[in-house]
Formats: sequence, structure tokens, C-alpha cells
Amino acid sequence: MLQNELFDNVMQDFNAGYWKLNEVSGIEMWSSVFYEKLGYEIGSFPETLNYFLETLIHEADKKLFRNNFLMYQRKDINFEQHIRILNSIGDYQSFRCNTNDQLPINIQSSTKLLFFMSLAVEPERTLVKSYFYYQETAEMTETGSWYVDFKKKKSFWDFQTYKMMEYPEDHEPSIKDSANYYAKECRQQAATLFFNCAVAGVPFSTEIKMLTAKGNIFWARAIGKPVYNDLGNIVGIRGVFQSIEELKKKELGLEKSIDIIESQNKRLFNFAHIVSHNLRSHTSNLSLLVQLIENIADPQEKAELIDDIKKISESLNTTIEHLNEVATIQTNKKQKRVLVYFKDTLRVIRGSISHILKSGNATVEADFSGLESVNYIPAYLESIMLNLITNAVKYKDPSRDVVIKIKTYINEGKKYMEVADNGSGIDLELFGDKIFGMYKTFHYNEDAVGIGLFITKNQIESLNGTISLTSEVGLGTTFTIAFG
Amino acid sequence: MKNMIDLACIIDDDTTYISLVKRIIETKELCNNLLVFSNGKEAFDYFSAILKNLSQDHMPEIILLDLNMPIMDGWEFLENFLTIQHKFQTPITLYVVSSSINPSDVEKAKEITLVSNYFVKPVKINELEAIFSPQTV
Repeated sequence: MLQNELFDNVMQDFNAGYWKLNEVSGIEMWSSVFYEKLGYEIGSFPETLNYFLETLIHEADKKLFRNNFLMYQRKDINFEQHIRILNSIGDYQSFRCNTNDQLPINIQSSTKLLFFMSLAVEPERTLVKSYFYYQETAEMTETGSWYVDFKKKKSFWDFQTYKMMEYPEDHEPSIKDSANYYAKECRQQAATLFFNCAVAGVPFSTEIKMLTAKGNIFWARAIGKPVYNDLGNIVGIRGVFQSIEELKKKELGLEKSIDIIESQNKRLFNFAHIVSHNLRSHTSNLSLLVQLIENIADPQEKAELIDDIKKISESLNTTIEHLNEVATIQTNKKQKRVLVYFKDTLRVIRGSISHILKSGNATVEADFSGLESVNYIPAYLESIMLNLITNAVKYKDPSRDVVIKIKTYINEGKKYMEVADNGSGIDLELFGDKIFGMYKTFHYNEDAVGIGLFITKNQIESLNGTISLTSEVGLGTTFTIAFG
Repeated sequence: MKNMIDLACIIDDDTTYISLVKRIIETKELCNNLLVFSNGKEAFDYFSAILKNLSQDHMPEIILLDLNMPIMDGWEFLENFLTIQHKFQTPITLYVVSSSINPSDVEKAKEITLVSNYFVKPVKINELEAIFSPQTV
């Protein structure tokens, strides 16, 4: 026999209802806690398995429970099962149903007992479990939580925040110096967000750069919301920091890729333009010519027209060469940069275009004292310099000799080359957006081809540099190249 | 005797194309005189000059306009020409003849009432004949 009182006390503490099985009569005894838990009055049911199966247990749990119960009763086979039981207000309540030996505590009894433990009320276990999940989640997602208590004028961090901020666990997070937890450029942003949240109750969710105790900077998503007391006053701010360093890195990488894709897209667009316009105009001339030849009877005249085919095919060739030049810029990009001296490049150019310089009575004044050399693809530097010099001669002001001034220098750590001429100048208001486009010419010269500046710009940009210009009609043009 | 167009005008920077069209016009006797401008600005300057000093007899009946040209392209020419068009007494028929097969170019051109039609290069000889036949003018 059980010492009922003692046993019931234990069970009270344990907060579990139970059944006591009578092997002889087959009738159970249901404990008072069992009734209480379900909100029924003690003794309001015939305490039999059949009644329980028919009216109280959830349909889905019925079969398994019946089997378990009978096996336990007849063959002493212990079991543990989750079941749902109908309570007095018509809801199903979840229980864990155990036999003696499945219990975490040892209850000595010669009688067969069946325990019903409320699943909802297992405070300690649930807490331990949720803490475990919380810790796992915090670590895996790199999310630290924090709380600022305005009353206590204190700030609290969880373990993960300490870890991310690289502070020792005994560090007391400071409210006064909280700016120090953010990278310099983000301190104003943090102050504004916290102030708005503390004063006006505006929750925030932002991306911000954090500064750790060791001076490391990482990108975090900072989310915070005000905490109110019963009177509706803001008494604190609760929130999380999630490290998004990896994401941010990827995002920045993505932005860079987009820039590259954009510039390649532009080049492709120009390509499409040459193909659709310039190549087509040659082929359509060919086809027009063939029509004309077909329409002419005189053999002499026909023969003359065939000469025109030669002309067209030459133009076609030139266009394809240009196309090829544009295409190779992307491939050449992989060439190695080497140290190139400006004066060497200029010497080569002077040699190769001496006749052009002579024809324009052109002088080139170079000053490389500010920057003697640059890491570059030599062929590009030559092509860029050559192009700007020949342009200066090509578009000279007829009333004066050409003077080209080349200067290299460093400004705020960036390397520059300036090429200034005293030529006829370009009306930037009219042509400003078209200067570096393909086959754009702004002068009335016969030999204006309109490919040079396009190539120059592409070469510079493929090495991450930029080119810009200032110009005044009648005075001259100055191109400025920033080397990447 | 054929009822020929007296004066036509080509605005195009492609010298090969111009010389070919010239040959076709001569061979087929499509018009008496041909004006050639190598870009929109040259043509527009000419038309502005007519308004100022010259008699409007020097106004072409037909204009063949290219779109892609240096200095002033076909679009800019159209924009400028539309502002002075009402000052001419004689009717002017303008065709766009371009190598652009871009549908947006075709649509854009056809939306301009001044543009009678859009021909994609290579233009056919029979198309040229149709353009220059007096019935269409």
C-alpha cells in the first residue's frame, strides 16, 4: 500500500495527476490532481479505461494509448506517450503519460501507476531548453541582444554581443560612451536613431558599422524598439545586433560587379551600334551598287562601277579593324602592368609621328617632374598619348602653330596626366555628352574618323581610370586623365 | 517628255551612298538637280539662308534624310527644320533613309508628321523611282 498523503504531496510538487491500477478489478483510481488539471470535479467520472477512451481522450491518441495501457496492465511493459485529453471547457490539453519507471524520480511502489504530466507546465525544463535554442540561434546567426534600462541607467549585453564586440564579459557596457561602439563615420547615425527611439519611441532597423574593443570594424544590422512600462512611458530600448559582415562584403562585391557589367554593357551597346549602323551602311551600299550594275547595259559603265566595289570593301575592312580594336581592349586588360616612364613613351611617339608634328608646326612641351612614371600597360599609355597629340594637331586652330603641353603630377595620392592644346576647341554645350562616343566627330575636317577618343576612354576605363576634359572654342582643349 | 522633279536634296554623310544614288538618279532620270549635304547642319544652314536671301525656287521638293550623321544628326535636323517649315510656300516631302533597323527609330520617325515614310538602307531602285514619281509628291 502507498502512504497516500506523502505520495500525494510528492505528486503535488511534481504537479502531476495519476491513475492507480487495480489489477484484480480492472478499475482504476484517478487522482484528485488528474481531475483538477482538467478542471473537472473530483470523482465526476466512472474511473474506467473504456469511459476514458470513449469520452476524454483525443481520437488520434486513442488507439496507441489503449494498446500501451493494456500491455502495461497485463504484461508489465512500461511506456511513455504524449496524449491530449478533453478538459472541462471543451479544449484538448496535452500531457505526457508515463509509467513508474519512465519517471525522472524514483517512486517506490508495488502498485502500477500511470502519471499524467502537463506539458505546458514544465517551467524548468522549458527554460533550459529555450535557453539552449536561444544560444544556438544567437551563435549561428551571429546575433547579439542588448537592453538599455533608462531607470537603472545601465546597459546589458548578452554573451553573443560581448563576443561580437570583443569585450571581456566583465566589461560594463556604457551608456555615456556608447558612441565608442560604432565606427567613427556611423556615430551620428547611431546617436540619431537611439535618440529618436528613446524620446519619440521610433523603432529602428538599420545597417551600421560597429567598432570592437580590439579596434575591428564590422557591418551589423541594428534593430531596436522602445520598451514601455504600464503607464506607457519609455523605460528602455531593447534590440539586437546581427553581424552582416559577410553579406555586406557580398553586397559590395555585387555593386562592383554591377559597375563592371554596366561599363561592359556600354561597350556592347557601342558594338551593336557599329555592327548595326556602320557595317550595315557598307553592306547596303554594296547591295545598292549591285542593283545599279544590274540596271546598266553599257559594259564600259559596268566596269567602272565594279571599281566602286573595291572602295566599299576597303571601308568595310577599316570598320572591322575598328571593331577589332574595341574588342581587344577587354582581352588586353589582362596584360601585366609594368613601370612605364612618360618620357620614354613620348620619345617613341615623337619618332613615329614626326611628320604629323612637322605638318602642324607643332611643338610638344612636356613636364614629367611631378610624376615620372606609372604602372600601366605600355601599349595603352602610348596609344592614349598618341591619340591626344594627333587630335591636337588634327583639330588645330588654322591661325596659329600647335602647342601641346603635357604635365604629370600626383594630387591627393592620385596620379594624373594632363594634355592641353591651343587648338580650335570643342563646344562642350553642344557636344559634351557625345565626345567619347563612337564615330562622333565635331569638326569639319575630312579625316575626322571619330574612333580615337572612344578607344582612349575605353583603354583608360578598363584599367579603372577616368578621363575628363575642359574646352573653350577658339582657345583649346585640356584632357585630364586620372590613372586607376 | 517625262514630268520630272526639278530639285531634290540628300542629307547624308556616306559619300559612297551619295555617289551611288546620284548614278541611279542620272541613269533613271529621276530629277533635274540634286542638292547634297553631308550633315544636318549644312542642310539647315542652307534652308535658313533661303529664307533670308534666296528665292524659294531653290527649295527642293523632296528631301532624303539620313539619321546617323556627325555634327548635326537627322533627329536634330528634324527638330530644327520643324521650327522654320511653315515659312516655306512650296510643299516639301521628306523621307528618312537610314541604315538603322532599330524599331524605336522607325516608330519615332513615323510619329513626326513631316516624315512621309521611313526607308531602311539599302534602298531599292524601284523605291527610289516611287519616291521620285510626281504622283507621290
